[in-house]
Amino acid sequence: MGSPRFSNIRQMALKARKAEEKLPVSPANDSVAASEISLYRNVLKIKEEHDLEELGISFWDAQTTIQWSYNADHYFHAASTMKLAVLIGVFREIDRGTLALDSPVHVRNRFTSIVNQEPFMLDLASDADPDVYGHLGKTLTVRELAYWMITKSSNLATNLLVDVVTIESIQQALDELEIDGVRVLRGVEDQAAFEAGLNNEVTANGLQKMLRVIADGKAFSQEASDDMLKIMLDQQYRSGIPAGLPKAARVAHKTGNISTVHHDAGIVFLDGREPYVLVILTQFRAETGRGSAVADVSRDIYNTLAGLTYE
Amino acid sequence: MSEPQSIKVVDACDLNDELRFLLKPGGMVLDAQKRRHRLPRYFYEIPSHEAAMSIRLTQHFGLNEFTLVDLKEDPRLQEFPRYIPCAVRVLAFYLEQFRRDAGGSVHIAVNGGYRSPSHKLSQNATPHMWATAADIYRIGSTILKGKETIEKYNGIAEDSSDDLHVLPYGHVTGLNADDHVHLDLGYITVIPREISEDRMEVPQENKPRFAFEDRRRVERRSQPATSEDE
Repeated sequence: MGSPRFSNIRQMALKARKAEEKLPVSPANDSVAASEISLYRNVLKIKEEHDLEELGISFWDAQTTIQWSYNADHYFHAASTMKLAVLIGVFREIDRGTLALDSPVHVRNRFTSIVNQEPFMLDLASDADPDVYGHLGKTLTVRELAYWMITKSSNLATNLLVDVVTIESIQQALDELEIDGVRVLRGVEDQAAFEAGLNNEVTANGLQKMLRVIADGKAFSQEASDDMLKIMLDQQYRSGIPAGLPKAARVAHKTGNISTVHHDAGIVFLDGREPYVLVILTQFRAETGRGSAVADVSRDIYNTLAGLTYE
Repeated sequence: MSEPQSIKVVDACDLNDELRFLLKPGGMVLDAQKRRHRLPRYFYEIPSHEAAMSIRLTQHFGLNEFTLVDLKEDPRLQEFPRYIPCAVRVLAFYLEQFRRDAGGSVHIAVNGGYRSPSHKLSQNATPHMWATAADIYRIGSTILKGKETIEKYNGIAEDSSDDLHVLPYGHVTGLNADDHVHLDLGYITVIPREISEDRMEVPQENKPRFAFEDRRRVERRSQPATSEDE
């Protein structure tokens, strides 16, 4: 089981917890420490209710500067959250002037495994992106591919962009932004690499750092950060973080799903306050199914924030 | 075969330094078997996108279809005026026959027509660098993938003409094709009839060969000298 980690409220929360253990009376409901303790309990409850094997959470709020995390340095299979790293890699090249958003890219379903250099093709039947594979043999621009890679999680667009910018360049982009906790080794559906145990991995803290750099406008430039945010705000899969929020909330995010993980990593914009960054990573047994754990954690964090009063 | 309209032939050796570097006219390149081949020197100059779209090489093939490239091609070679070896008209002629035999419209893939020596896929000599090869990704409504489909159309191409070479179905890049039909005519160089081959080795600095060269020289003479010229 992971443990929570705090920044500016850590000591206060620990004191509050110790006090609570001794006293029959809980701290005031509106205190930050009490809220944090409540959140921790709720997260454990969600983990148990959904029979999760692993849960990782990282949260940072620009309004209060509160940072909270649970098991946030544990590495998970990245699933499609790795596409955020590809997006970062693409915009690094754009910022450097080696690539243009309007550059045409040949849409071709043929890639090379990182393990044995054998060619492989994506199973287009399982990839929900007719917007991309409908262009087989033609071109889409880098901007269009980036858009479909994020908003509809197109595997074909992802592999095409990985081919354009290269894995090395993506890693270089992460290094330049001092983002650790995100390991990108390959594109999508490289079965030979999967069988060799070479997978993309992320931690909740790693993704949180990446999103925070974008939210702060420091992902290479304000313009690049704004462009990335704009794409992420058009995300079409909304069963994760947005499902736990009021409808008015806008979320710039990226989901990740395979048979045993369900993740969501996003920047939440609510009227009248600064945004917060939230990453929720879940892992479960294949027979369990993904359930609504991510939405439940998202809702709990929103409710916690809504109930906070600040001194 | 219809004659290309509103398009001129250039000796790429007369182009500016950047274009000569990218097109390497008359340069020698090795194929995968280490055989040497001399790159084409005479190109059609395509002045604009509109011209590329409007010029027909044959009844069913427009010039633009052979110029589709993505970011693997050098950015300058994606700007107009663009250049394509004169042998493209021979390829178009054979493709027209293939189209008739295949019984459907033939769609050339991006990067599947002319690729310059500077194109990132041009690691060895390939007829694509002569504009005498085409990668076809769709015929009619049929996407060309899978052994059966590719072998079917490979057979039609081979039956269409003994001059056409195809890549067999398989997964080894450069030797096989598994997501398109590749056909080519080998390394054909077209030398426009206005050219005298005893002057092939070096650019002809002072002797005009085409009408447009006379006009160009007049234009140059009428321009004031720049400081660099001084």
